[in-house]
Amino acid sequence: MRVLDQLVNGLALGAGYALLAVGWTVLLGAARLVNFAHGQLYMLGAFVTWWACTALGVPYLVAIPIALVAVGVLGAVMQLALTRLVVEQNIVSLMLVTLAFGYLLQGSAALVFGGNPQQIPSPFSSQNVAIGSARFTQQDVLIIVAALALYAVTFYVLSRTGIGRIVRGVAEDPKLAQLYGIDAARVYLGVFVFAALSAALAGAIIAPRSPILTSIGFDEVIITFLVVVLGGIGSVLGNLVTGFGLGFFVALFGAFFPPAYSMAAAFAVLLIVLVVRPEGLRIR
Amino acid sequence: MSVSELQVTPQRAPGGGEKGGRALPTAVRVLRWPALIVLGYLVPVLLGGSDRIYAAVVLIAIFAIMSYGIDVVLSYLGEVSLGHTLFWAGGAYATAVVAVKYGWGPLTSLAAAIGVVTALAVVLGLATIRTREFVFSLVTYAAAVIGLTVVSNSDFLGGTDGLVGVPLLALPAVGGQYVARTNAEMWPIAFGLLVLVVALIARFRRSRLGVTALMAQMNPQLATTLGVDVRRTRVLVFVLSAPIAGLAGWLYAYQRSYVSPDLLSAHFLLFMLAAVILPGRRLLLGPLVGAAILTTQQELFSFGGDADKIVLGGVLAAILLLSPNGLVGIWHTITRRSG
Repeated sequence: MRVLDQLVNGLALGAGYALLAVGWTVLLGAARLVNFAHGQLYMLGAFVTWWACTALGVPYLVAIPIALVAVGVLGAVMQLALTRLVVEQNIVSLMLVTLAFGYLLQGSAALVFGGNPQQIPSPFSSQNVAIGSARFTQQDVLIIVAALALYAVTFYVLSRTGIGRIVRGVAEDPKLAQLYGIDAARVYLGVFVFAALSAALAGAIIAPRSPILTSIGFDEVIITFLVVVLGGIGSVLGNLVTGFGLGFFVALFGAFFPPAYSMAAAFAVLLIVLVVRPEGLRIR
Repeated sequence: MSVSELQVTPQRAPGGGEKGGRALPTAVRVLRWPALIVLGYLVPVLLGGSDRIYAAVVLIAIFAIMSYGIDVVLSYLGEVSLGHTLFWAGGAYATAVVAVKYGWGPLTSLAAAIGVVTALAVVLGLATIRTREFVFSLVTYAAAVIGLTVVSNSDFLGGTDGLVGVPLLALPAVGGQYVARTNAEMWPIAFGLLVLVVALIARFRRSRLGVTALMAQMNPQLATTLGVDVRRTRVLVFVLSAPIAGLAGWLYAYQRSYVSPDLLSAHFLLFMLAAVILPGRRLLLGPLVGAAILTTQQELFSFGGDADKIVLGGVLAAILLLSPNGLVGIWHTITRRSG
């Protein structure tokens, strides 16, 4: 049955969208930093995983931590360059600088990794799981489990722990938080590295579903925007719900219309939501 | 938007000439713009007049007009529109569709281009009317990328191959037609349009709308108190900026004789942003200078596609991190230190 297949597909797609968005929304909520290079960090996560698998010959599960470390270090370097702008809350310059960083990363990745499409050799992509008539791969299960686990951890840390209290404090009022002895610059660094790591993780485990190109970052970041703006900025649960909602929407739309237009249709939904509810769907 | 970024002194803003404060002899003041226009027109001749030079200056003129489109929004409204490639590509695609498929002439295709991009800008402007600061940028960016996927997959628009065979630009002229067969013959048209656009921007900077936009950028609360409809101003300026980018797209379709989805790529977005920011925002001739610097690098000193991406991204990031006021800001720092 086609609809059941698409629902299962939508579950995996939606988990992927949510996974890609979680770091970005935490970063935007805590530091008011709009990172347009997020898609390129996802692309680098995918390509470093591919490179470690093929050039170093390590197993897929070992390649993932290598990608995380590489992108995490890059994220730390980026944030150190941006610290002054974040402290000044110069949002216009921040957006433009991250956009420029993204383009720079894309050009560098094309020089290093070449212009050909590549396939990450994940052992889970070939293992099928069947529920009734619907089939999906173990890779899909991995994406869903990783997304749910990461959201659970993020939600717990932000709402129940001391670290979460510090991050929320800095998000609310950085100057006041500093009066209480919190080093806002360090919080920004930590949040940015978390966002970079989550993008790299998303790249490492979502990208094996299809061939990767160094130009994918430009489009991938759009999904993040749709999820975050629809779900409400900084709302972790809202993002999880809209991530899955968007996944089902794209999967079902693709079953009946040309799949190439599914993102355009999702964007049309966003425009309507913005006219009716500019603050997004915001689920608390 | 930080306040420190907005260092326009009230006396100088907006327009009012570059060094309006200093007393220039009347003759110089009257003659400097005509002199600059004549000199600008002769630039390719002074540089030797080779085909390569003419190709470069025509591209500079086209890309400068394109950059003036986003300049209106970025410099005067203070909003970061990341969707202006949509208007640039929209102008080029509208031109190619009506010229290739329906055989329209350049004047009617210009009307089609302006009409299409204005309609796009009205839809996007009204949809984002209530969004706050960065959501506007996110939505306009998303619009451009969605535009790219739609254009790449549309058979009507030629898919990833684009539309080829845009005819030569043939304008009605005294005693027949003026046909632009080469870049050298294209240059008078490109230069004329560039002068027209700069004049339009100069007029905009002095207009009520231009002043209102600047006020809405610097202090929206005050603007509202003084009876300015900030949202209406935002939409008006946004819609005004679109035909400028569309005009550049129209000319580019004829200059290149084909259109393809690369018009919507990150390259042109980064180019127009860098052309405005590199010299310094809110300068009348800034986007022209920026477009000239960037085009010269790409046309005459290119390192290859991927390395040029690093150059463009690196230049934009470096200037924003080191001197948010652009090259003019660096110049002021140097002169202040030595003086």
